[in-house]
Amino acid sequence: MAARAWIETDETAKEMLSRVLTKSPPFQFRPPLHRLPLRAGNVVEITGPSPSAKTHILIHAAIDCILPGQWKGVDYGGLDRLVVYIDLDCKFDVLRLSHLLKLRITEAGSGLLFDDGEELHSLCMKRFLYVRCYSSLEFLSALKTLHHQLVERVVEEEVEEGSGVHCLMIDNIGAFHWMDRAVSSAAKSLPGCNGRRGISLDSIVEAVVREMKKVLVVHPMLVMVTKATVLGGDRSGSNDVTQNSSYREFMPLVWQSFVTHRLLVRAVDDDSCEQTRYLLEWLLSSPRSFVERFLVKDAGLSCDL
Amino acid sequence: MAAAAESQPASLRLKEVRHLLSQSLHSREVRLLVVIFNSCNQGISQVLSIVDTLHQPWLDGLELLQDAMDNKRVLSTGIAAVDSFLHGGLRVGQLTELAGPSSSGKTQVGNFFSSKRIRHFLSENGSPPSSQDDAGIVHRVMSRIWRHSVFEISLLFDMLHQLEFRLGSQECMEGCKVQLLIVDSVSSLITPILGGGSSQGYSLMASLGVLLKKLAHEHDIAILVTNHMVGGERGNPKPALGESWKSIPHVRLLLSCDYETNTCNISTLKHPSLAAGRSASFVID
Repeated sequence: MAARAWIETDETAKEMLSRVLTKSPPFQFRPPLHRLPLRAGNVVEITGPSPSAKTHILIHAAIDCILPGQWKGVDYGGLDRLVVYIDLDCKFDVLRLSHLLKLRITEAGSGLLFDDGEELHSLCMKRFLYVRCYSSLEFLSALKTLHHQLVERVVEEEVEEGSGVHCLMIDNIGAFHWMDRAVSSAAKSLPGCNGRRGISLDSIVEAVVREMKKVLVVHPMLVMVTKATVLGGDRSGSNDVTQNSSYREFMPLVWQSFVTHRLLVRAVDDDSCEQTRYLLEWLLSSPRSFVERFLVKDAGLSCDL
Repeated sequence: MAAAAESQPASLRLKEVRHLLSQSLHSREVRLLVVIFNSCNQGISQVLSIVDTLHQPWLDGLELLQDAMDNKRVLSTGIAAVDSFLHGGLRVGQLTELAGPSSSGKTQVGNFFSSKRIRHFLSENGSPPSSQDDAGIVHRVMSRIWRHSVFEISLLFDMLHQLEFRLGSQECMEGCKVQLLIVDSVSSLITPILGGGSSQGYSLMASLGVLLKKLAHEHDIAILVTNHMVGGERGNPKPALGESWKSIPHVRLLLSCDYETNTCNISTLKHPSLAAGRSASFVID
């Protein structure tokens, strides 16, 4: 009878789909990130030269995550999740996040009292976890203690099982690229290192990917990573929208295979417009790709056209 | 440590099992197992506390906002047009880069703190007329400005590490709190070591960026660095130090000067909260 139970079906495809959709609902962001449905386990890499509003895209997505769907009868359209932000660039401006959050709250709940608005603002800011890292070693140790932090927060806030899917954001995974490369070249020249696998850029990135996979097993999360290009792009001088700028990939293969979605952002030279326009392109395997244009205004990202 | 850290996801399971076991009969073996589980838990929390000291503390948005509003104020540059352009001036905790062609006024920022200018600035602001008081005030002001000549990047690193140590030590009193740090010019230290096929120069540049940003944030200092220009594509000049440097400073400003009309033009290349591409003009006397 045990053999028969082994052969029988566990669940139908319909049951499995409904289970997956309720357990890890998709992340629905506002434009310009609305094109593809993202879910827990996806790793989105946002690449672009500096400056191209990559951190602004992360802030835009973070506000979508930390706002509640509904609060005191007002619909905010948020996803009600925790956001973990690991700042490797050390350039995060919390006042900008706070300003955009306040604007969003007043826009959605126009009849809201001042105290209620303040309370919602504090509630949302508490859902934003932040850590700065000044070296790859600090980054690895922060990843190791991430699970413990999340467990503490879940216990404190008594979050239910279903809404345990959070968002992990890493600003500029290439921040320590040159420093790690120099470490590896220095280690090779040391005597007595034969036969022992020393520290190298590859081993550091492998350790990072391993730690992230471990955390993702216990806490399914959507990972959004920005990457600034450290090697110059090959621009032939044309502003052709459909042309893919060929920025050289500098991250090792283990990272490239970890990433599931790629986004390319760049500023577009537009003499007719005073404000700089930015172009966002989802790099897909099919020949057709989604291209969005957006502006960065005081109230955040705005997708026109 | 790695093995213990790997068993972190099991710590919750350990707690459950321990709870189950303690509910069962009080046999000697059970009590022994409970003791082992207790020490495992203690071991795990000990390891976690050690690993926690290896990185900066985890903060939530509210604590971060509180720190920004309490400590990270704005320093005025002394030029009203620049202050209004930057919505107040240089922000404490941020690394600001000022790029411009040679003799465009960036070094004037450094020379702004010469004794002649200080005296002029004080007399403009209505200080007491007696010359003895005046000299005393000027002396006190000048004693708060320290100027070091650095010709090599390793000396700069040395000085920054010493500054970090002094600011972080317990005996730092009110008087030795640094508010503004100017490095003029960072490009003349870094450009000789870039290139040449090895990545050492780029890694030193990245390490310098990290150290400056760390000093700025941890010790509440506004840091200003200057950069020169090189030829770019289509003959347009661009700031030096290449693509990797672009993502290091918080704020990047471009300065240009027109000597016929004696006006300077400042524009933003990058700013975390203001639109890029804005510009303003002012006159430097």
